[in-house]
Amino acid sequence: MTRSPAFHVFRTAALLLALIFVLIPVLWMVSMAFKPIQEWSATGDLLTWWPRDPTLDNFRYIFGERTSELIVALERTAGRPILASLLSSVVGTAIAMLAGTAAAYGLSRFGSGRNLPLALIQLRLFPPLAVMIPVMVMWAYLDLIDTWWGLSLVYGIVTLPFAFWLMKTYFDDMPREIEEAALVEGCSRFRVLTRVTLPMMRGPLASSALLVFILNWSDYLIALMLTTREWVTIPVYMASLSSSMTGQLYGAKAALGLIAAVPPVILGIAIQKHLVRGLTFGALKQ
Amino acid sequence: MTDTTGRTLPAADPAAVARTAVRDAKDAGGGTSTRLGTWLTLPAQLLILFVAVFPLLMQLYLSFTDWTPLSGRNWTEAYTLWAGTWNYEDVFADDRFWGALGRTLLIVVVAVPVEFLLGLGLATLFMDEFPGKRVLYSIMLVPMMIVPAVAGYMFYLLFQSDGPINGLLSAISGQDVAIRWLTDPDLAIVAVMIADIWQWTPLMFLILLAGLLGVPQDQLKAATLLGAGPWQRFRTIVLPKIKTIIVIALAIRVIEIFKIFDTLFIMTAGGPGVATETISVFFYKIMTLELAWSYVAAAGLVVLVGLSVVAGVAMAFLPKPGKRA
Repeated sequence: MTRSPAFHVFRTAALLLALIFVLIPVLWMVSMAFKPIQEWSATGDLLTWWPRDPTLDNFRYIFGERTSELIVALERTAGRPILASLLSSVVGTAIAMLAGTAAAYGLSRFGSGRNLPLALIQLRLFPPLAVMIPVMVMWAYLDLIDTWWGLSLVYGIVTLPFAFWLMKTYFDDMPREIEEAALVEGCSRFRVLTRVTLPMMRGPLASSALLVFILNWSDYLIALMLTTREWVTIPVYMASLSSSMTGQLYGAKAALGLIAAVPPVILGIAIQKHLVRGLTFGALKQ
Repeated sequence: MTDTTGRTLPAADPAAVARTAVRDAKDAGGGTSTRLGTWLTLPAQLLILFVAVFPLLMQLYLSFTDWTPLSGRNWTEAYTLWAGTWNYEDVFADDRFWGALGRTLLIVVVAVPVEFLLGLGLATLFMDEFPGKRVLYSIMLVPMMIVPAVAGYMFYLLFQSDGPINGLLSAISGQDVAIRWLTDPDLAIVAVMIADIWQWTPLMFLILLAGLLGVPQDQLKAATLLGAGPWQRFRTIVLPKIKTIIVIALAIRVIEIFKIFDTLFIMTAGGPGVATETISVFFYKIMTLELAWSYVAAAGLVVLVGLSVVAGVAMAFLPKPGKRA
């Protein structure tokens, strides 16, 4: 469609404005992550958008190296929280994908579990904190508080709706002829699922798993409630990372924030084709 | 669809399809495959039972007692602290609860329309071709990929009173600007909304763009040739086509903002005072600071019932979100 020159100017200006709005918060934190301690709370003319004296000290500091006489060493380093985030997110994703894919196939092919679609949507409707009390009581009773496996179990159920709905739409879209052909050849229903259907679904399975992983990795609230010390995840650790002893650890927190932010951004861009379907519970396909 | 296993599969001949149809018909009658279906859905059912249904019953039970983790009793013995409907009476009389609910709704009614309009505007611009479109598209998606707690920290840094936003404003206006973004009760909630708009406008953009791309271009061209203006084209052709998509996008954001916690809590922790205390922050504080668990159990159920009623009414009046767009 032909557009007037005025429209081109307007469009460029609008897109530029959007770009600046999107990048400003990211830019500031990234720059903070590379600023030495002297620049953390610089004001006035010394407040710069780029570190004047870039350094990796912040990253070294959160992994336990003493980098400056100005701040005391951390009592607990970032290694363990990173491990906690990884373990709970990966295992949570595995739980959600296994239960979700199996249930989606059961519903899509055999019409089993007709209560699941609505039940799982309802699960997303409620604020987690409104239903957190009994989970915490149960977890305390089962000794699951402050463990990565206890956390991953909750992650598994919280992201189950996404895994289930995504895989259901993919199974619904898949042509039945291939499965039917394998059945005719004498495969059992279960073998058809494991040998024909799932290998064909490798792409959708991978992108769904990545989306579920991003959602688990992004959690703060649930980990805040269910972990206390040994297995706190990155966001919980990050929020706790300032004390009366050390003061505001702006740069160290920014470095940690950067570490937490990078994986989902890369994965998210990698699966951007599947995002619309994933985040609308399969209601929309791009 | 192609067979990614690389194996050659026999082409389905009509007779085979007929045989399968017969077998499927038998399956539906309760054969082995129906049993397989039940087995396949079992893990999900158990998870729901274990982490949703059973806890809800437990929550209902606790909400009628005065039990807290400090009461020195197992939760099963909470009946010894029976409180009847006191907790519920307290909830309905609690100004702090209703205040938190009101602030949550305020954030919803301000942030959702802003995110929608910005997202729609941006999506419209992306309908044209322009240099760098693909790269820009990926960049636009970055905010929603950022861990919300980290996004909260980004805005916490930006909005410090000697921070970069005031620095920018000072540079632009030429005088010293020291707005107390996070410590002024009126501004703190604005700052929180800005953070949410930053993070979630991309989702609106993504969904609405997918919708706009589905609008038949030939119809738009024909309407242009017939002399329809942009607004008329939007109202008569585009809007009917993307109505369902708009409803889905709005519903998702309303539900998610109602739960808002991570970004907000990192930025203000609900403060100053209760100026940014939303319903989730309220629950968190009562639970961790006052340890009034049975009270939170009751308040949580009140919110649950309220949300279910609203959702039920919305489902009855709006087009079905489950429908394929």
